[in-house]
Amino acid sequence: MIKNYFKIGWRNMMKNKFFSFINIFGLSVGLACCMLIALYLNYETSHDSQHKNAPNIYQVVTAFIQNGNKRMKMPNTPAPMAGALKREFPEVIETARLLKLFIEDKTIIQFNPANGERKSFLEEKGYLADASFFKIFTYNFAEGDAANALANPRTIVISQKLADKLFGTQPALNKVIHVNSNTNGEQDYTVTGVFKEGKTPSHVDANFFLSVNGGNMEGFIKRQANDFASNNMFYTYLLLKPGTNAAKLQVKLPAFMDKYASKDLKNMGFQKEQSLISLRDIHLSSEVESNVTPPASKTYLYVLFSIAIFTLIIACINFMNLSTARSSKRSSEVGVRKVLGAEKSTLIKQFLGESILMTLIAFIFAIVITLILLPLFNQLSGRVITLSVSKDLMLFFEFLVMALITGVLAGSYPAFYLSSFNPVKVLKGKLTNSLAVVAVRKGLVVFQFIISVVLIVASVVIARQMNYMRTADLGFAKDQQIVVPLRTTAAKSAYAALKAELQENSGVISIGGSAYYPGIFNPSDNLIYKEGQTTAEGKRTRLNYVDDNFLQTLNIQPLAGRLFSPDFHSDTTNGIIINEKAAKEFGFSSAKDAVNKKLFNKFQDNTNTFTIVGVVKDFHYEDLHLPVTPYGFMLNTAGFNYMVIHAKPGNIASMLKTIEISWKKYDQNDPFDYSFLDEDFDKNYQADTRLAGIVGYFTVVAILISCLGLFGLAAFSAEQRTKEIGVRKVLGASVKTIVSLLSVDFLKLIIASIIIASLLAWWLMNKWLQEFAYRKDIDWTIFAYTATIAVFIGLITIGSQALKAALANPVKSLRSE
Amino acid sequence: MLSLQHISKHYQVGGNKNFVINDISLDVDEGEFVSIMGPSGSGKSTLLNIIGMLDEPTDGYHYFVNEAVHQLKERQRSALYKQYIGFVFQAYHLIDELTVYENIETPLIYQDVKGSERKAMVADMLDRFQIVGKKDLFPAQLSGGQQQLVGIARALIAKPKLLLADEPTGNLNSKQGEEIMELFRKLNKEDGVTIIQVTHSEKNAEYGTRIINLLDGRVESSKKF
Ligand SMILES: Nc1ncnc2c1ncn2[C@@H]1O[C@H](COP(=O)(O)OP(=O)(O)O)[C@@H](O)[C@H]1O
Ligand SMILES: [Mg+2]
Repeated sequence: MIKNYFKIGWRNMMKNKFFSFINIFGLSVGLACCMLIALYLNYETSHDSQHKNAPNIYQVVTAFIQNGNKRMKMPNTPAPMAGALKREFPEVIETARLLKLFIEDKTIIQFNPANGERKSFLEEKGYLADASFFKIFTYNFAEGDAANALANPRTIVISQKLADKLFGTQPALNKVIHVNSNTNGEQDYTVTGVFKEGKTPSHVDANFFLSVNGGNMEGFIKRQANDFASNNMFYTYLLLKPGTNAAKLQVKLPAFMDKYASKDLKNMGFQKEQSLISLRDIHLSSEVESNVTPPASKTYLYVLFSIAIFTLIIACINFMNLSTARSSKRSSEVGVRKVLGAEKSTLIKQFLGESILMTLIAFIFAIVITLILLPLFNQLSGRVITLSVSKDLMLFFEFLVMALITGVLAGSYPAFYLSSFNPVKVLKGKLTNSLAVVAVRKGLVVFQFIISVVLIVASVVIARQMNYMRTADLGFAKDQQIVVPLRTTAAKSAYAALKAELQENSGVISIGGSAYYPGIFNPSDNLIYKEGQTTAEGKRTRLNYVDDNFLQTLNIQPLAGRLFSPDFHSDTTNGIIINEKAAKEFGFSSAKDAVNKKLFNKFQDNTNTFTIVGVVKDFHYEDLHLPVTPYGFMLNTAGFNYMVIHAKPGNIASMLKTIEISWKKYDQNDPFDYSFLDEDFDKNYQADTRLAGIVGYFTVVAILISCLGLFGLAAFSAEQRTKEIGVRKVLGASVKTIVSLLSVDFLKLIIASIIIASLLAWWLMNKWLQEFAYRKDIDWTIFAYTATIAVFIGLITIGSQALKAALANPVKSLRSE
Repeated sequence: MLSLQHISKHYQVGGNKNFVINDISLDVDEGEFVSIMGPSGSGKSTLLNIIGMLDEPTDGYHYFVNEAVHQLKERQRSALYKQYIGFVFQAYHLIDELTVYENIETPLIYQDVKGSERKAMVADMLDRFQIVGKKDLFPAQLSGGQQQLVGIARALIAKPKLLLADEPTGNLNSKQGEEIMELFRKLNKEDGVTIIQVTHSEKNAEYGTRIINLLDGRVESSKKF
């Protein structure tokens, strides 16, 4: 019987190639979208599943509370936290600390083989980790012994990729490499392990792990051995005894904090609330801010998921509409079959068989499309998802089930509709579509177009916001700014000479040095308050340490007072320049009022005093998602992390060459590296750029499938009305009137969709825009654009068919009836 | 074999009841060959459809092989129908997408006859109607007479006791029509199939053992030979 269904299905498909093409194409693309997105969701939810202890691993999370206001939870804890937790609680079997080397920084890794050329690389994703880290987490070691790999000072565990880069086919174990990082200083390390990067992603995306001891951090950690309040920079992981209830352990944490941290916290003017997050939840949780790697964006997952479902629905609707529209062609078959003894249920099965056959064919195309588009999708989504027919059989099976379900969904409505025909009625003559089914069809077309129009509006709004962010005035000059990182002691000490030499170059406007620059993470902050206040009233103020030329280089504008200057020696000891926002938050009546006033900051038992030398206009040191908050600059004379060179417009390539030559002169050891400030700043919009890309692509896909469906319906309606058109033409109707006669019904549907979709899209996109502190709000022009695009696309789709019908020779069409 | 008692069927047109079948009582015995005649619109097809259980009367009692059809549920009626009745149409109503062979086979599929058995039965039928050579052709590739032959073969494949034919020769020329009528007579005489046909042709009607004339939904006259 099944064979019979498929046979008839196949013949029907071949007989109506045009409709079959529309259906199979739509379903293939819809299924491919779903597959790609299912792969993505699968990847995102599989994070950290490879660790054998995963169910018992927890990360310690901190909520900082100041003046009763709870800030977002952060996974950051002080250095002594891990040890104390293990000592205090028997259910904590093991703890490990992880410290990320400064995120925006690269680490210099060098290998000097006895015979051969020196290899030197700038590597990212470096961490300091306790030896116990590899007892808690499962890493697949290709060389070395995981359990003891980081037990000794100055030992390093590297990824297979890095090992290949450094040593080629040679074994890496026990080789000595030179590691130089901003965070941990410059030392020689012995390779004690090489781990293979598995297919399953982890929230720790490490390239290498350094032992905690043996570098600059060792001394810092020892100094902080009893400080449970500040130095919140370590990630602390706990391995709990199997069967431990983490919630019960969490309840005991406030008492623990009381015992260890209450005194320090009182001094610092804030409280901390500790909690635990399960390892498998880390990547999917949006509650915890700035984890080791950014968590999966919920918005992003929802958007992707809805897009996948909607594309598939659009394709299913095409199938439903074209099937019911063409039902008069199938009705007599239904009648005959019933007369021959077919029951309704048998016919339902037959029609479902046809739709399933169609989706199975689409399924095969979809797999091909998925395999072809996966690299592009990876690029768009910034992931490394792999798919191979041999390795992911289970996944393919799941896709098959998905295709079958789609087949049943798409086929069920037509199947029930078609199989319900009364044989006596349909055999008597041609059957006209019932009003109800026409209404359903119209409703479905409107629904399809609503999805498409919402996607168009979304694309336009996102594109406008992206354009706004890229071109907005940030309050400083972001173009033509070359950033040169000064990573090593040698590079830092070369700064003065470099600056002096390059400033002579006619292509250089100005050069400044700083600890941070706008667009990158600015980790330094203090609670600062003005005279007459206490630390409890302090405002969290980001701090940057700059030279006397940095503000001029970035063209940050003074509002009151002055910028730093070598003429004022006192600037280096206690001068501070604040932004407008800070002046307001500290409670000064105006920028002028703030100048020469004193500011204070309490750290442990010391109080620091600053004098405000100037107030600058607000500028965006963070991207436009975030509002401008209090910011302060302090003057340093050396030890800068970055040299920023403001170049004149012109030949950037030769400018870079010039800088590199000077660099080589003053620092022979370190490789020259640079970036452009505007590009670094725009990196903060990576997630938005991805969203824009994905929504853009899928909008095109959705419109394409919807239009194909509409095209099919229009073609069918024109075909059905051939005779009517012939008669009208003979009676003298012009081509124009016939085209409008055929188009007007569809156009009404499109216009209805535009109206509903505009309201929906306005609400949705307004929500999305709330994520940005600075945004380009939606206005009517967007809807004008969208409506024009949608009507235009609709007109072309329908009009072409209407025109074809209107131009047909009436004599021919009348004779053939 | 079947008995209709006071069967009526009406459609609601505006506020009026429009009677298509008006209080017809009719008994047909096994082995009869009945011809129904009457002007267009007199209710012949409707009556045939009621007998064939494709249509339901609005009133009256309907017995078929000792079952009270008017009391049966849809499923039971369908089972009864499948077992006993074959239908032939004026417009043949072959399924365009199926070959001759498959068209004939279809009723057997719906009766859950096993594959091997189906093969034998269809082969037998093709042979009997001398259309073996056409078994892989599609209906569009056949002449009208050939199509109707396939239609009859299909109606007979499940060995029905009652064959209902609505103007089976209406679309055929007289020679083709005659062949079909001869076939009907043979079926009736040799195989004992009860036949009820609707026809406009006096000549064809006379192949039957009884002629019933309908007018405005009533039996105007009925004569047996
Ligand atoms: N669905 C319907 N609604 C109203 N009248 C109908 C319907 N179907 C059939 N009729 C009427 O029933 C009458 C008998 O039809 P039919 O049995 O096909 O006649 P015949 O086969 O004798 O030509 C016709 O007058 C027709 O108009
Ligand atoms: Mg009739």
